[in-house]
Amino acid sequence: MTLLAVESLRVAYGDLTAVHDISFSVEPGEIFVLLGANGAGKTSVLRAISGLLKPTRGTLNSEGVSLLGLRPDQVAHLGIAHVPEGRRIFPNLTAEENLDVSFIRQRSKETLAQLRDRVYGIFPRLASRRRQTANTMSGGEQQMLAIGRALMNTPKLLMLDEPSLGLSPLMTELMFEQLARIRDQGASILLVEQNASCIDMATRGLLLANGHTMLSGDHAKLRDSDFVRRAYLGV
Amino acid sequence: MLQALLSGILVGGVYGLFSMGFSIAFGVMRIVNFAHGELVMIGMFAAFFAYSAAGVDPLVAIPLAFVVVAALSAVLYLLVYRRFVGRATLQQLLAAIAVALILQTSATLIFGPSAHAVRSNWGSQYLLIGPIFLSYAQLAAFAISVACVLTVEAVLRKTSWGKAIRAVADDPEAAQLVGLNSQVINITAFACSGALAGIAGAVLVSYYPVSPHVGFLLMPIALIATVLGGLGSIGGAFVGGIICGVIQQMTSVLWTSALQDVPLYGVLLLLLAFRPYGLFGRVSAH
Repeated sequence: MTLLAVESLRVAYGDLTAVHDISFSVEPGEIFVLLGANGAGKTSVLRAISGLLKPTRGTLNSEGVSLLGLRPDQVAHLGIAHVPEGRRIFPNLTAEENLDVSFIRQRSKETLAQLRDRVYGIFPRLASRRRQTANTMSGGEQQMLAIGRALMNTPKLLMLDEPSLGLSPLMTELMFEQLARIRDQGASILLVEQNASCIDMATRGLLLANGHTMLSGDHAKLRDSDFVRRAYLGV
Repeated sequence: MLQALLSGILVGGVYGLFSMGFSIAFGVMRIVNFAHGELVMIGMFAAFFAYSAAGVDPLVAIPLAFVVVAALSAVLYLLVYRRFVGRATLQQLLAAIAVALILQTSATLIFGPSAHAVRSNWGSQYLLIGPIFLSYAQLAAFAISVACVLTVEAVLRKTSWGKAIRAVADDPEAAQLVGLNSQVINITAFACSGALAGIAGAVLVSYYPVSPHVGFLLMPIALIATVLGGLGSIGGAFVGGIICGVIQQMTSVLWTSALQDVPLYGVLLLLLAFRPYGLFGRVSAH
């Protein structure tokens, strides 16, 4: 069943329409990218899916269940985890406490400690920082923590909003590799990025400009598109 | 001097206790509850009622004050404060002041406008250490306050509910995204905020007379203690409360008790001007 089906989604803030009738779907095992410049409406799409804002029209379904009208915590309990823009870790909690509060027991076959150890296995740096207050961690570590926190949901769909923001190219590459590994372990990924290097690992994707769909298709179509090449890859 | 310092610390312990409650409501929900002093007053009346109706010592009546004020707070949250979560707006302040006035008037209707004092045998006795004398009632009040504060701190650090409360205080939106139900957390946090006011009331009434207007005397202390301790820092509010107690007692010894609140407000103004994040400033999420 389709993990996420977005149909004719429109998001408006007052008179300003941020997203115009966008449609796409994410299937199990996919890495789907939403590519676009600042202000293209990418963040609004994610916020609408996770219930942080109410779409003006359109439908949102996950495995046949409508997400419309659900609170963000209810969407999270369906296994849709959202790593928001700017990481938004809990600054005064330790790294481990950040993970603990994000554990959704009903969704997990593992215990809190087992799942936490699995996250530490994916991000060993977090294990050495477990007693450290989150605001004292480096940007890269905070991004790992934000992703680790989402994994405590045991998500079927992991949505990330510009996780490469503020990271060095090396760190970004490392993080994309981790995402591929997380996908291999069973979660699908919906990735919002300005950084076109994420196309390499995408199965499919969609290019947004000013809230409109410019292009949508599979990996090859995105990679070979003149528009993406000129606008994002600089070739 | 030493006398003033010590009794300031003792009195300040109770201030710290209800200031912590005030700080929880602000830290978790950004609600400035101007009716918090009235919640202490209700706690005082609950304990006084147990004393006058059944001869129960106020300290024994702590569970009663706890339950009554926690339940009242939960109801107030559902009826009023729920609408203002996350926004310390003018409307929220006015709503809280309205609640304060309603509680005050109701207390006046039920108990009359005059002050009532508890007269227990041990409460009026003093412990003498050389030239220093300390009231047993205040010593007991301080000990209970410290025990409550340590309990709250432990709950906030160790339990999953406590960690969830701190997560919501840090970033309510991110807390929802990781699956925390903010409605459940808010109502329990608000009840907890009230419960601390209730305990403080029962403790306070063992040495301080209760009247329907006592809330307006206590409210500014909670506000100043919270700012002193750092907005949103729950443990800091307890330390802030003790500082308030010491400033008050020092003023009444060195100057005059009639003006004991004046330097307190001076401290508030200085703080807001120079250290708006308090003495124990903490990081905000944004």
